[in-house]
Amino acid sequence: MFDLAHIIDVLMESYPLFIKGLWITLKLTFVSILIGTGIGLVFALFKISGIKVLNWIANIYIALIRGTPLIVQIFIFYFGLAELGISAFWSAAFGLAMHNGAYIAEIFRGSIQSVDKGQMEAGRSLGMTYGLTMRRIILPQAFKRALPPLGNQFIIGLKDSSLASFIALNELFSIATTQGSRTFDEMTYLIIVGLYYLILVLLFTLLVNLLEKKLSAGE
Amino acid sequence: MKKEMIRIENLKKSFGDLEVLKEVNLEVHESDVVVLIGASGSGKSTLLRCINFLEIKNGGRIVIEGEEIDPKSHNLNEVRQKVGMVFQHFNLFPHKTVLENVMEAPVMVKNQNKSEAEKEAKALLGKVGLSDKADVYPAKLSGGQKQRVAIARALAMKPDIMLFDEPTSALDPELVGEVLATMKELAQEGMTMVVVTHEMGFAKEVADEVVYMHDGQIWERGRPDELFNHPKEDRTKDFLSSIL
Repeated sequence: MFDLAHIIDVLMESYPLFIKGLWITLKLTFVSILIGTGIGLVFALFKISGIKVLNWIANIYIALIRGTPLIVQIFIFYFGLAELGISAFWSAAFGLAMHNGAYIAEIFRGSIQSVDKGQMEAGRSLGMTYGLTMRRIILPQAFKRALPPLGNQFIIGLKDSSLASFIALNELFSIATTQGSRTFDEMTYLIIVGLYYLILVLLFTLLVNLLEKKLSAGE
Repeated sequence: MKKEMIRIENLKKSFGDLEVLKEVNLEVHESDVVVLIGASGSGKSTLLRCINFLEIKNGGRIVIEGEEIDPKSHNLNEVRQKVGMVFQHFNLFPHKTVLENVMEAPVMVKNQNKSEAEKEAKALLGKVGLSDKADVYPAKLSGGQKQRVAIARALAMKPDIMLFDEPTSALDPELVGEVLATMKELAQEGMTMVVVTHEMGFAKEVADEVVYMHDGQIWERGRPDELFNHPKEDRTKDFLSSIL
């Protein structure tokens, strides 16, 4: 079953197809993480705002997302947004973004609250507004602390994007399943697609580590 | 008569059921240095923090430079620009260099242009004796240096009043002197200052008035030589003998 020569043969001949899927996976991951980070930041700020209504909105959102399977969310977004004429790619991107956003919100909330309370007081005592102190003083420090768990969440997001194959998006994983069933050689294609994900994750981890080093310079 | 900079009337502050300030009255005149002393928990830090509204009072009046400040209707950010504060734990911004720490508020709050703010920040760093540390991050400084940067940062907003909340309590003993010297210089230049401290030497030498607080109230106040040498209240005597 693990015929290495065969796997390498298939790898070499199938890569043009996989590169197309890889490109879609990367786009999907990038877009959903970018939007998800924005959503996460907004809901984290809601949670620490001390304003009851905003607290509630954030809590309900996080409970709904964390309490239901991602595959259900992706289908709901797909069927819901398809009616509005939104493509499978963007439904998947929004679905993944909303999903990641809930987890990123908790990451940001924790890292914001871990910044010493004296930092906000120092900013306020200089006449800076809450928003300005948040933006200039608290968030830069919080973001630095959020980076390791955020990197972890991004890796999860990258792998979770494989679920978009269920709504007929031709990303990495769906290339593997279609090629596998077409050739009756499923195992070979699954091993190959696993390798693609592994390499992506390793490259991404390297990138996060570099960023962490860069951000901690000077302190 | 010197101008009245701070006037506090019947100030009350509670945290939950705990009454921290009970009907405090205090006035501070221009160029005066008022030192608040008392045991921990006596309310002196809370009183200081009420003056720049880091804590919001539960009752009474706070008048800053002749204007009564109502936290609900006043823009507290503008009030705080006039009232600088120095903290026990410095609270420097660790992700910014010393120079950036000092420039931050003038540039972001007062919209001062950068080159002008930088010039003024450098002058202030020179004044506190830290010109050579402008491009260093706070983590590389000693506690005494950090506190002097914090003083420069507060001064950068050109406040009329400076509040010091136990500015030397977190310092190693050998570093206390440099911070007190900076504060003394500031007092000699005529800055209005309210200082919470345990440094009785500083109080004796620099203060115009010493205020002893106990149990959320001002127990006794007077010129330093009177209060230290001839305290009227037994409670004050006990406190002074316990620390001297």
